[in-house]
Amino acid sequence: MKTATARQRGVEHDIVQLPQVGEIAPYYEPQGNEIAVFEAAYKRRLPVMLKGPTGCGKTRFLEHMAFVLKRPLVTVSCHEDLTSSDLVGRFLLEGAETVWQDGPLTRAVKAGAICYLDEIVEARTDSTVVIHSLTDHRRKLTIEKKGQEIDAHEDFMLVISYNPGYQTVLKDLKPSTKQRFIGINFDFPNEEIERKILVSEVPGLSHETAQQLVAAGRKARLLKDHGLEEATSTRALVYAAAMIGAGLDAVAACQVAMVNPITDDPELAEALMEIVNAHFAV
Amino acid sequence: MSSPAIRTLLDAIREAGATHGELLFEIEAVLPVIRPHGEAVTLDWINACRTLFDFDREAGKAFARGSREAEKVSEVVLPWTRQALQIMRWRHSWPAIEGFMKNLPRAFGSLGHAGEERWAGIGMAWCARSVDCGCAYFTTPVLDLSGRGGGIAAIEQLNTPAEELYETRKLQLATFLPGAIRVRNLLGAQAVLPWAMRGADIMQSGRTRGEAYFRLESEESLALLLENMQGYKLADRNRLLGILVEVWFGENMELKESTWSPEKGRPFMEMDGQTLYFPAVMGNREEAILSVLHAAGHMRHGTFDRVAMRQMFADAKLEFPNEGTVSWAPIFMRFGEDAMRFQLIFDMCEDLRVESRLQKQIPNYFQRLITNARSTLARHPETAAYYDLALATAEDALRAARGEEVRDARFAPLYERSATLADAHLIAGEIFAENTLPRVTDAEAFAAAFLPGRGPNSTRVAHPQDNPDENSQSQPGAEQENQPDEQGEDENESPSESESGDQQDGGEKQESAGYGETSGSAKRSENRPDGQQTGRGPADKGVPYPEWDYRESRYKKNWSWVQEKRLGESNTTETNRLMKQYSNALKRLKKAIQSQKPTRMSPKVRQMDGDEIDLNAVVEYVTEKISGRSPIPAIYRRREMRQREISVILLADMSTSIMQHLPEGGGRLVDRIRAGVLLFAEGMEEVGDNYAIAGFCSKYRDNVSYYNIKDFDEAYNDDVRSQIGGMSGRLATRMGAAIRHATKHFERVESRRRLLLLLSDGRPEDYDDGGDRRYLHEDTRMAVKEAVAKGVHPFCITVDTMANQYLPQIFGAGHYLVLDHINSLPNKLPEIYLKLRR
Repeated sequence: MKTATARQRGVEHDIVQLPQVGEIAPYYEPQGNEIAVFEAAYKRRLPVMLKGPTGCGKTRFLEHMAFVLKRPLVTVSCHEDLTSSDLVGRFLLEGAETVWQDGPLTRAVKAGAICYLDEIVEARTDSTVVIHSLTDHRRKLTIEKKGQEIDAHEDFMLVISYNPGYQTVLKDLKPSTKQRFIGINFDFPNEEIERKILVSEVPGLSHETAQQLVAAGRKARLLKDHGLEEATSTRALVYAAAMIGAGLDAVAACQVAMVNPITDDPELAEALMEIVNAHFAV
Repeated sequence: MSSPAIRTLLDAIREAGATHGELLFEIEAVLPVIRPHGEAVTLDWINACRTLFDFDREAGKAFARGSREAEKVSEVVLPWTRQALQIMRWRHSWPAIEGFMKNLPRAFGSLGHAGEERWAGIGMAWCARSVDCGCAYFTTPVLDLSGRGGGIAAIEQLNTPAEELYETRKLQLATFLPGAIRVRNLLGAQAVLPWAMRGADIMQSGRTRGEAYFRLESEESLALLLENMQGYKLADRNRLLGILVEVWFGENMELKESTWSPEKGRPFMEMDGQTLYFPAVMGNREEAILSVLHAAGHMRHGTFDRVAMRQMFADAKLEFPNEGTVSWAPIFMRFGEDAMRFQLIFDMCEDLRVESRLQKQIPNYFQRLITNARSTLARHPETAAYYDLALATAEDALRAARGEEVRDARFAPLYERSATLADAHLIAGEIFAENTLPRVTDAEAFAAAFLPGRGPNSTRVAHPQDNPDENSQSQPGAEQENQPDEQGEDENESPSESESGDQQDGGEKQESAGYGETSGSAKRSENRPDGQQTGRGPADKGVPYPEWDYRESRYKKNWSWVQEKRLGESNTTETNRLMKQYSNALKRLKKAIQSQKPTRMSPKVRQMDGDEIDLNAVVEYVTEKISGRSPIPAIYRRREMRQREISVILLADMSTSIMQHLPEGGGRLVDRIRAGVLLFAEGMEEVGDNYAIAGFCSKYRDNVSYYNIKDFDEAYNDDVRSQIGGMSGRLATRMGAAIRHATKHFERVESRRRLLLLLSDGRPEDYDDGGDRRYLHEDTRMAVKEAVAKGVHPFCITVDTMANQYLPQIFGAGHYLVLDHINSLPNKLPEIYLKLRR
């Protein structure tokens, strides 16, 4: 059986894709009531905001939910130069004609997909106001340039994610935007769940190694206050486990997956390696 | 039976005079061991005694007396008899002969016959150079000269630089030798010559200073030693150690540098229940990290738990002080001469107990300790038994942790989670009573008994702790009601208590209970008076500036003198503490700066003009145009280069008043100022503007100090950081002179805008202003005017709420800011700058 994340590779396919029959759901290990909350929000088609540190499973959660709810998922990764036309659409030249091309948000609105605006704070606030009319009772998308309005498909749902760690005076969502969402808080899963995740993500990983990885990860997260922008994520642990699974020595795997990527500070790196060594080097 | 010839000789001595009776007594006592070597030898020997005695009585007696041992070890008589007679050739050489005789047995024993001859030869060569040097040589114990197991080669190694320095610099051996031996033992033979060369240089500049250097007592010689010490420099890794403690123990323990210096022997980590003290250098990284974890383990796992300590004192039938600090000394003093033996056993037991709990917290702790301990081969002969037992029991504890069977059941209770300090003490008592471990008297042997990573646990006066952590210290049902609530008591400084030999640096530690200035590195520099701070020598009067006298409406020429100095103090601990305390503020600040950097390198899109075409904008423009609209032609991209267009000096008022405690509590004003300056500097690094940091204070017109903490072209490094941590208040505020000096600093800087940011807490004042406030106000106002005329923009930030009364006149409206809340200073300072620079 194919998983939803393992579709046919190397082939173009449209961004709006319904989960295929015969696929199994992307793996997700619930940490709390987030599934119930999401399902309830979906029932009422309320927009949802996923908050939590990088690599704790927000995107995976949404993939899982989209599959369970049998909705296509349209993901837009937001960045600084994202404009509203990148979301809504723009006129393109075709010969001497101009042709309107829908942006991903418009496509999702029309198709009744779940539109996921990842790391929305990265986008400039002026480009994110286009979602306002979509996120309240109106459920409408205004296409200014065409002078049109679209009423959203009844299954359409908007989800945004944001990482409170990035939060700054200047980079924060406008309160008027924030308060339109149902907020679900994510954090790194507890030890037991994290072990389960490692074992299911990396088949063949020994229980003991998973245990050591999780313990080391926990300790590494304590360093967050010492200048790490981002703590060691569950994803980093999964990567480390994968590297171990691929035959790399445990200490080296941890170094390349959990230490090198997250810091350039030699002292922090040394401290992280101390943790790794304590758990793995005998 | 003595032969007639011998008897005649002895009779001759007897008749030589009354004083010769003493000699005769010594000779007759030793004669039986010399006799077997034959009559000729005996006669020679007696003659030598007599000759030496006639040369110098003490020398003769010492020779006779020392002969017994010398004969016993060497099994010959004539060679050393001849050597002694040779030494006699030099006048006043009797101390050399005495020393020679005393060292003979060891010389034969450790160097062999050939070695002994060489050893004596070197000594005689020294006597030939100068009798004093010869005496110094022979009175130095052979084992010290050769180092442990170094043999004659080690003596030669030491001798070569000594000879060289004597020939070239006339450096006396007595000055050189004691220090050189220690340097050799610490750093190896190759380090001796450079060390001594430097010493000879210093010696030329001043005798006392040079002697202090050679005695390893002066700062410069200790610093040189530290610099050249092999091993892991903990002082540089303060941050890492702090992080590690926090990672494994989940709390922030205070880490300070101890007063250890290389000549004090093996470095150990120390702790007192409140603070961890690390030596500047340790053998290697493993040992250093194990030590830190180990010491923190003691702090966390009940070595300083009040209940357990009380129980231990009760078991020892000693009185436990109800409050204040507790000296460990009585625990060991009970054993008198055997104190060291008990202390070693007790430390071992307590270490095992604590480490068994550490093992649960830090995976593979024991494995690491054991691996490291095994790889250390050198053991001190006297305490090898302790080392091996410690290693064996550590392996046992590891077995216990793995749930395997232990081999030595005596220690087994210590591996239990419920064991306390008092249990360790009881078990130590039992093992002590078994009397199987050798007695220890030598401090070096004592120090060598510890596994790398461990160390004596009770070197410091303890601060008993009342807050048993989640792993409760006391056994169920025991003594719980005895636990008085004395939280906070620990912070009181208490009078010195008597301490045993091992509790070195006693007086010093008592003061460490006080917070603030007295961290390791700060302490060191505070011990040095002003001499250190004067950058260019005491003769330097500094730079003169005019001062405005409003009463006469004229400048007084060359009136105020500014001396530019480096800030002597630095305080890394404080800096680290502040960095941590404000880490979130700092992160926010950096993010804010990053996002508002007006001259970011990434292109600005959709500009009305610029040097590149913005393709997206063009397509949009064209499409909209074609579809019949009239779009705005903002189709360019523009990159702006970062340019150094602004430079700034942050000039902090460092007068006494900043040392005041804040009315609302929570520390002193200086803490906020340090934090503010630190955040400012960090922010500036992010902004990329050219900046300098300075502080000033004054005492009288001719003594204005301008502390250059960071100059414009200087890198912002740990040194600067720790200087900021070491900022403190002294003296008064002659602001005008400081402003003039800062203005002068700007002259060297190329930039369009120059900002002088003054950080102050009060009005300009000095000791010699005669109570006329207006005088310095007016002068400061003039200084500000002068600065403006030179293109410098002064801006004053003050925390003095009364400042509205005088700042407008001095700086002019809009050129100052009064912070109504002192606590906001750290966050505000960089923000204000960012606003100003727009």
